[in-house]
Amino acid sequence: MTDKKKENLTKVMDYLKHKDPFSKGVAFCPGCGLELLLRFIPQVIGNDIVITGTPSCSAPVLLGQNNQSWHTLSYFGTLMTGAAANATGLARYYRKAGIENTVVCFNGDGTAADIGFGNLSGAAERNEPFIYICYDNEGYMNTGIQKSGTTPYGATTTTTPLGSAHKGKNLRRMNLALKMAMHKIPYAATATLSDLDDLAKKLLKAKEAKKRGFAFLHVFTPCTTGWGYAPENTIEVCRRAVKTNYFPLWEAVNGKIRMTKTVKKPKPVSTYTELIKKFAHMSEEDLQILQDDVDYEYCMLGGLSLLEGECQLPVSSED
Amino acid sequence: MSSNKYFKHEGPWSDASDPLMCSDTGDWRTKRPIVDKDKCIFCGFCAIYCPIQVMEMVEESYFSPNLGFCKGCGICAKECPKNAISMMPEGDFKK
Ligand SMILES: Cc1ncc(C[n+]2csc(CCOP(=O)(O)OP(=O)(O)O)c2C)c(N)n1
Ligand code: SF4
Ligand code: SF4
Ligand code: SF4
Ligand SMILES: [Mg+2]
Repeated sequence: MTDKKKENLTKVMDYLKHKDPFSKGVAFCPGCGLELLLRFIPQVIGNDIVITGTPSCSAPVLLGQNNQSWHTLSYFGTLMTGAAANATGLARYYRKAGIENTVVCFNGDGTAADIGFGNLSGAAERNEPFIYICYDNEGYMNTGIQKSGTTPYGATTTTTPLGSAHKGKNLRRMNLALKMAMHKIPYAATATLSDLDDLAKKLLKAKEAKKRGFAFLHVFTPCTTGWGYAPENTIEVCRRAVKTNYFPLWEAVNGKIRMTKTVKKPKPVSTYTELIKKFAHMSEEDLQILQDDVDYEYCMLGGLSLLEGECQLPVSSED
Repeated sequence: MSSNKYFKHEGPWSDASDPLMCSDTGDWRTKRPIVDKDKCIFCGFCAIYCPIQVMEMVEESYFSPNLGFCKGCGICAKECPKNAISMMPEGDFKK
């Protein structure tokens, strides 16, 4: 190869140091963001990982079928209610037995933000030594696209349909990553698929941090089937989510927040929603409500990132 | 086929010591990515963003999809900065 051509190769390639442990033909929809994420993780942090996770779109592939599997990683399937508790048991066992590996608790937003949030929060509070990755496709996709706690305002799902009473979800989405950072765990971060170098760095940092305890990654992972956008737009949807501050990229070490990418001139959130059918019905007023929410969350994040040093607790004076 | 390292069986029921399952996902395709070698600058964006990771390096000078598994999503074509990939109807290739 001419060196000139080699120079053009994206630096992301340098992070892909390990083999892709998945079989080539697996059952994810064409253009599925989750498939890219799942193949990316072990190529970056290695195949010496134990994945544990729950029923979801990831499970048919991670768990295997009819006694056979789709990949060569070690995987342990658990219930949605106890994912982080199971990961705790695995991670503690390996630590006690003196086996050095990485336990990755890999779940959708349904498990992470809703059904399994209690034990996720508990594991973070106890600073258990594993990595928790939430791939956020903003709903319960595997059971037919129901709304979850991370489904954004206005989005239609099968449980927040267009009707006379409501037009899509009439509640705001929760900020799961920020909640996790507030546990002051060794590492918490957001990431997405348009910024693969950022994602790779954060995966490697999470792997390091888990030696000190709990690491949490929240990965914005669009779903072409459930959201209604053209499959070729998966990466563009991620890119626009970042460029509108709909999904800002940041990390927090021991709760201290730092933006890993700042957008000079954020675009209106409508440049993101226009790609996706689940937002297609939204009026200008509806979009403004979503925009206000995006602005509020970003403002809060920015404020937190400005905090310097450790917070001093106020000293109460006697009398 | 290498088996996984930590469990005899993965999860409650699948066994990675058997040959891996593999579907002919190339059959799902309705559009086929065609790479124009001359336009390709070997940046690798098509390869890193391909969800199935089937964009393979050819002669270390351009990238080409493994059509046995490429699902035809079109991400490679959309992300190529040189528009070197076009998505052609699959029917054009059937006899
Ligand atoms: C306690 C419990 N409630 C409901 C279900 C049914 N169920 C199986 S998969 C799934 C969707 C999971 O959603 P998420 O975790 O976001 O993953 P996704 O399907 O979106 O990838 C649900 C609700 C279950 N398995 N366990
Ligand atoms: S429904 Fe969505 S998340 Fe599930 S496999 Fe299809 S594209 Fe991926
Ligand atoms: S993205 Fe386009 S230019 Fe870059 S390697 Fe692929 S085909 Fe070539
Ligand atoms: S069309 Fe999709 S699956 Fe096929 S090579 Fe391109 S990105 Fe990969
Ligand atoms: Mg989900």
